[in-house]
Amino acid sequence: MCICVSMIKLKINKGETMNKFKKIIVSSLVAFGFFAFNVNANAACGKLVIAEQNWASAELMANVDKIILEKGYGCEVELVPGATMPTFTSMNDKGSPDMNPEQWANAVYTPLKKAVSEKRLIIANKAPITGLGEGWWLTPGSIKKHPELKGMTALQILERPDLFPYKEDPSKGAFVGCPAGWGCQLANANLFKAFEMEKKGWVLVDPGSAAGLDGSIAKAADSGNTWFGYYWNPTSIVGKYNLQPVDFGVPFAGRDNWDNCITLPEQDCANPKPTAWTKSEVNSIVTANFAKTGGKEALSYVEKRVFPGEVMNGMLVYMADNQAKGSDAAIEFLKKHEDVWGKWVSGAAKKKIKAGL
Amino acid sequence: MEFFTKFPVMDRTTLMEMRKGIDFAFRDFSRAYGDGIEAFFDPLLYFLVGLEKLLINSPWPIIIAIICGLAWLGSKNWKLVIGAAVAFFLIGYFGMWKDTMATVAIITVCVIICMSAGIPVGVMMSRSDRVERAILPILDMMQTIPSFVYLIPILMLLGIGKVPGLIAICIYAVPPIIRLTNLGIREVDKETLEASTAYGATTFQKLKTVQIPLALPTVFAGVNQTIMMALAMVVIASMIGVKGLGVPILRAVLNQYLALGLFNGLAIVALAIIFDRVAQEYGRRIQKHRGFKK
Repeated sequence: MCICVSMIKLKINKGETMNKFKKIIVSSLVAFGFFAFNVNANAACGKLVIAEQNWASAELMANVDKIILEKGYGCEVELVPGATMPTFTSMNDKGSPDMNPEQWANAVYTPLKKAVSEKRLIIANKAPITGLGEGWWLTPGSIKKHPELKGMTALQILERPDLFPYKEDPSKGAFVGCPAGWGCQLANANLFKAFEMEKKGWVLVDPGSAAGLDGSIAKAADSGNTWFGYYWNPTSIVGKYNLQPVDFGVPFAGRDNWDNCITLPEQDCANPKPTAWTKSEVNSIVTANFAKTGGKEALSYVEKRVFPGEVMNGMLVYMADNQAKGSDAAIEFLKKHEDVWGKWVSGAAKKKIKAGL
Repeated sequence: MEFFTKFPVMDRTTLMEMRKGIDFAFRDFSRAYGDGIEAFFDPLLYFLVGLEKLLINSPWPIIIAIICGLAWLGSKNWKLVIGAAVAFFLIGYFGMWKDTMATVAIITVCVIICMSAGIPVGVMMSRSDRVERAILPILDMMQTIPSFVYLIPILMLLGIGKVPGLIAICIYAVPPIIRLTNLGIREVDKETLEASTAYGATTFQKLKTVQIPLALPTVFAGVNQTIMMALAMVVIASMIGVKGLGVPILRAVLNQYLALGLFNGLAIVALAIIFDRVAQEYGRRIQKHRGFKK
C-alpha cells in the first residue's frame, strides 16, 4: 500500500512537469508554425492521468477509458495506481490524477461536495456501473450449514453469534469488517456499536487488507464454513462465491446519522443509530483540468459511459478465472461488448477504436 | 534473426493453464487438509491468545515492573532499566498500550518458536557439511522471497488471524538464528574439542557441555537478530489480521495520518531498542569470562 501512495505522489509530480513541458513545446511549435497539422489533430485532447485503483472493476474501467480516450479521441493517457482515499486526497489537494473512473462517494461525501461546489472537481458520471452496493453478506455455505439463516435479516442474525464462532475465542461470533484504513472500516465499526454487537457476543474482525478480506471469504466458501461480514458488489468475489446479501432489517436512518456519525472516526460518533447501509453512490469524478485538457468530447464520453451490472460481473469473473490484468480485460471487453461501448462514443471515434484494437 | 530479437517464450495459453493448474492444485490441497492443519496449530493459537489476554488484562504497573526486572536480569545495567520503564510509560501514555502488548505477545511466541525450531536445525547443519549445503539455499530463499508471495498460500490454508501471521513472521525471522547457531558451533576451538575427546566425552556430551556453551554468545546474537526481524514484520503481519502496532500503521499509511504512523512506528523502534540492548548486554556478560572487551 505504501508503495502505491508514494507512486501516486511520484507520478503526480512527473505528470505536472510533463504537462508544463508539453505546453512549452506545443506553444513553441505553434509559434514556429511547424507540424501545424499534428498540433491541430491533438489540440482537442492533451495528456491525462487516470487513477487505476487496486481492485478489479476499477482496473478494468481505467484501462477501458485509457484505450477509448487514446484511440478514439487522441488523448495521451497515463495510468497511476491508486485507492479510494489516497486517490481522492490527491485529486482534491493536488488536482491530479485527472480522473477517477470509480470513486466510491460515501467515504468522501463531505469533501467531495465541497470540491464540486468550488468547481475543482466535477462529477462527470453519477452511476458508471448499475446495480452496485455495499453491505453485509453471507457465504452460501453458511445457509447450507444452518438453513434457519435463510431469509434472516441482519437484526435476526445478530442474535445468533454461536453460528459464526470466532477462531480466537469460540464463545464469540466473528463479524468480518473492513481492512484498517478503508473508508468502510469506520462505518462498520460504528454500525458494530449502533447494533450493540459487542453486547450480543460479536467480535469485529479486522482482516488487515483486501487480500485478507478476500482470503477469509475464499477460505470459508471453499471449506463450507460460515462467514458473515462486509463486502460490496460488483466484484468477482460476489459472483464467484455467490455471496448472499443480507437485509439489515432496519430502514436507512437518515443522512444526518450517516454523514455526521457513521462515516466518522469512532470518537466523533457518540450515538450512532442502527441503520441500513446508505445507498452506494459511485461516481466517475474528473478534475477541472480534465474538462480543459480532454475537451468536450472526452467529457461527454465519460458522461455516457455506464457499465450494466451483469456485464461488469461477467468481466470480473473472466478476470478472476484467467488471472487477467485490467489491460487484458479491457481489450476483451472492447472486443466482446461492442454493443455496450458503441453507444458511449461517436461514430467516428468508434471506427477509430475498432481499428486500433 | 527473429530468434535473437524475440525471447523464446512459453505459449500464452499454456502458461495460463499452468498457473491455473498450480492454483487449483493448491486449492484442492487446502480444501482437503486445511482443517487438519488448522487444528494442528490450535494449541499455539490458544497459547498466543492466552498470553495476549494476560498481558493486556494485567495491571500496567506490574507489566512494567516485570519488563524492568527482565531488563535488569539481562543487562545488570540500571540505565537500560530506567530507559525501558520510561519507554513503556510513554507508550501507555500515548494510548498504544493494548497494541504494544499484542505485539509483545506475538513477538515473544515467535521468538520461542524460532529458537525451538532454529537451534536444532543449526546444530544439525554444524554437524554435517551436506546438511549445511542443503539448508543454506533454503535460508537464502526464506530471507529474500517477498513476504506477500507466501502470504497468499498461508491465507488460503489457514485464513486470517494470529496463526498465519505468526507463521509469516517466523518464515522471515528464523534464518539468522539457524545461521548463527551453525556458525557458533563450527567456530568452537578445535583444541578444546580435542581435550574433551581425550577425556572420553561422547558426541552428545561434547555437544552439550563444550560446543553449545562455547557457541552461546554467537547463538545469542542470532536470537537478537531474530527479534529485530520479527519486529520488522509486524506491519506485514497485520495485513492478514494480526492485531498490534501494525494495524494503526496501516491505517496511517492509507489515510495519510502522519502523527498516528509516527507514534506507532516509534513504539516499534522503542521495543526493538529495548530488546536489542538487553540481549546484547546479556550476550556481552556471558562472554566476559573469555576476556572480550566492549
